[in-house]
Amino acid sequence: MTIRVDRRKFLMGSTALAAAGAMGVMPAWAQSEDLRLIFWGGQARADRTNKVTDLFEQAKGGSVQSEFLAWNDYWPKLATQTAGGNAPDVIQMDYRYIVEYAKRNAIAPLDEFVGGALQLADFDQDQLEGGKVDGKLYGISLGANSVAMLMNVTAFEEAGIEPPTNDWTYDDIMTMGEAFKAANVRGGMKLIADGSYNEPMLNNWLRQKGKELYTADGKLAFEEADMVEWFKLWQTMRDAGVCVAPDEQALDTGPLESTMLVSGKAALLPANSNQLVAFQAIMQDKVDMVGHPRIAPGAGGGHYRKPSMFFSVAASSANKERAAEFLNFFISDPEAAKILDVERGIPCLPSTRDVVAPILDEQNLIALNFVSNLGDLLGPLPPPPPAAAGEIDLSLLRVIGQEVGFGARTPEDGAAYFVSEATAILERAA
Amino acid sequence: MAVQTVSPADLSPPAKQTSLWSRIWHNDAPGYLFLLPWLVGFLGLTIGPMVTSLYLSFTDFDLLTAPEWVGANNYIRMLTNDPKFWTSMRVTMFFVIFSVPLKLAFALAVAMLLNRGIRGLPLYRALFYLPSLLGASVAIAILWRQIFAGDGLVNKFLAMFGIIGPSWISNPNYSLWTLIVLSIWQFGSPMIIFLAGLRQIPQDMYEAASLDGASKWRQFVKITLPLLTPVVFFNAIIQTIEAFKSFTPAFIISGGTGNPINSTLFYTLYLYQEAFGFFRMGYASALAWVLLALVGVFTAFSFLTSKYWVHYDD
Repeated sequence: MTIRVDRRKFLMGSTALAAAGAMGVMPAWAQSEDLRLIFWGGQARADRTNKVTDLFEQAKGGSVQSEFLAWNDYWPKLATQTAGGNAPDVIQMDYRYIVEYAKRNAIAPLDEFVGGALQLADFDQDQLEGGKVDGKLYGISLGANSVAMLMNVTAFEEAGIEPPTNDWTYDDIMTMGEAFKAANVRGGMKLIADGSYNEPMLNNWLRQKGKELYTADGKLAFEEADMVEWFKLWQTMRDAGVCVAPDEQALDTGPLESTMLVSGKAALLPANSNQLVAFQAIMQDKVDMVGHPRIAPGAGGGHYRKPSMFFSVAASSANKERAAEFLNFFISDPEAAKILDVERGIPCLPSTRDVVAPILDEQNLIALNFVSNLGDLLGPLPPPPPAAAGEIDLSLLRVIGQEVGFGARTPEDGAAYFVSEATAILERAA
Repeated sequence: MAVQTVSPADLSPPAKQTSLWSRIWHNDAPGYLFLLPWLVGFLGLTIGPMVTSLYLSFTDFDLLTAPEWVGANNYIRMLTNDPKFWTSMRVTMFFVIFSVPLKLAFALAVAMLLNRGIRGLPLYRALFYLPSLLGASVAIAILWRQIFAGDGLVNKFLAMFGIIGPSWISNPNYSLWTLIVLSIWQFGSPMIIFLAGLRQIPQDMYEAASLDGASKWRQFVKITLPLLTPVVFFNAIIQTIEAFKSFTPAFIISGGTGNPINSTLFYTLYLYQEAFGFFRMGYASALAWVLLALVGVFTAFSFLTSKYWVHYDD
């Protein structure tokens, strides 16, 4: 049997195939008014965002193609696209990464558009500062949030204990925790999750002592003795059964449903103010929030209004002006504001806040009031964390916190190891 | 199928001996053309990335800026100044050393059971194979979390006997064992291969042995095992490589962290963290090449020792 292949036909076919393959990996021929947008978040955020991109298309023409991923998948994808010179025009950016992206010229400074496409005259000053790297504006904050202690109000009612207020202290954790233990609700629910390796909670505690996690030039801004004190503080709570046991705490791997609050193992959980909505959505019990505990009555300044996320513009974007227009629309258009409300944090333009305030639901109103009324809990914005902060959090603080929790290291040993390893990681990354 | 008629001109021998290249073109080109789809994939998607990764393993590369040549620094740091490398190596070796023999023993036991001519064999075979199909999936890893958590199925069962179990999956003393149990549970594919191997053993050998008064155990040790060694060897190699590469269960169960206390920090998980968590593509590439070398050494060692214990009946 002979099957003859006509060479000319074969070549034509394979050329067509090769061409089709090449088309697939080439960026779509970008017309000047088309934008691509990438952000992290869940379906709820995507629905809101896509409604706003539709609005923008109707108002200004052109098209906005958006894609979204979960936080963990987002950064590898963004880094890969950036490496391939194919980054989307508009990029959702986090406080943790903005310095790294700006310093490597992966995102563009936006100063040339301020006053033109970007109207920022009334924009909250601290939120504007938060988006600056070396004095240049690289990100527009989409909202402010703060760390907060989420609390299961229903569980407190069952235990017959008054829930904490913004004046509560670390000492109160002990007394309240003992009372909570005595009440024995829901088969031994503990008062609070183990926060010993919760980086924002450690940061809040350090700030109340007048220190920080990191200095502006990316070094550790606290002493080994602080770390010993911190680990001992939590060891006392752990030994007293005030916070959850280490093997329970290790079940928390990040997703909301694995947290001690949702799994019903603790009544208090350190988290962020804008997360109340998401927690309430998956919990039967009533959830409210309060500030982190004070280190002593009257101590404050631990909290800060963090830019919860930014929009930045890719340095490789061919449509920076258009992208800046989109950013302006996103933060200031009243219709867009109604759709977005405070899901990304409290809006930074007063005019937008005025549009949003009357239509907020209960949880969002709690979040808005909490962030607006921090009072003496509020301190200045810390410098952006160094590039290695994520690694120190994930692969050092977490591990050593667990080692101390399980008794594999003493607080002294853990603190010493933490400081030496963190210093080494920071030096290697510098 | 449309087959074109062959014209006489095609059948006639080439008029003249043409150049070597022309001959190669006429003789081999069609073959390569047919190979082309696979060849493009092999060169572009396997060899290309491998060569790139080898190059990157000698660089510092964070994806955002161009790779920077650092010589053997990545390899030197790995061997001299990276405790996490050794932690992940220890975890992976522990996993390989315990999961592979246990899994093979379990697979063989089930295969022996199924080989006794029970009714409905195809059904049982399919049922026992099922975990292998599901095992590496995300859903099973999540299920495992539920079963071995503090208030999971296992502890509810133990509670019936008054035993209060720990949270197996998040206790550093047991977490790796839950992953080993998960791996053993996926015994399906070696079991199927064992079953085929058992079918190859001539029945008359057993008959002769039992006439001579050999016990069942003695028959197993003296007949079944020696004749099955080629299959054991094959399964051991495949399963060892699989165990070294194991990633998904640890990734899902620990949320990608290798926690608690790095007790489930598989080598592959550490590699993933370095590459996609901390964007050290150069270092991660070096880790990948060390893993490749390690698997290669293990396999070569198995082949070298095989002549002392694998019996081919030829």
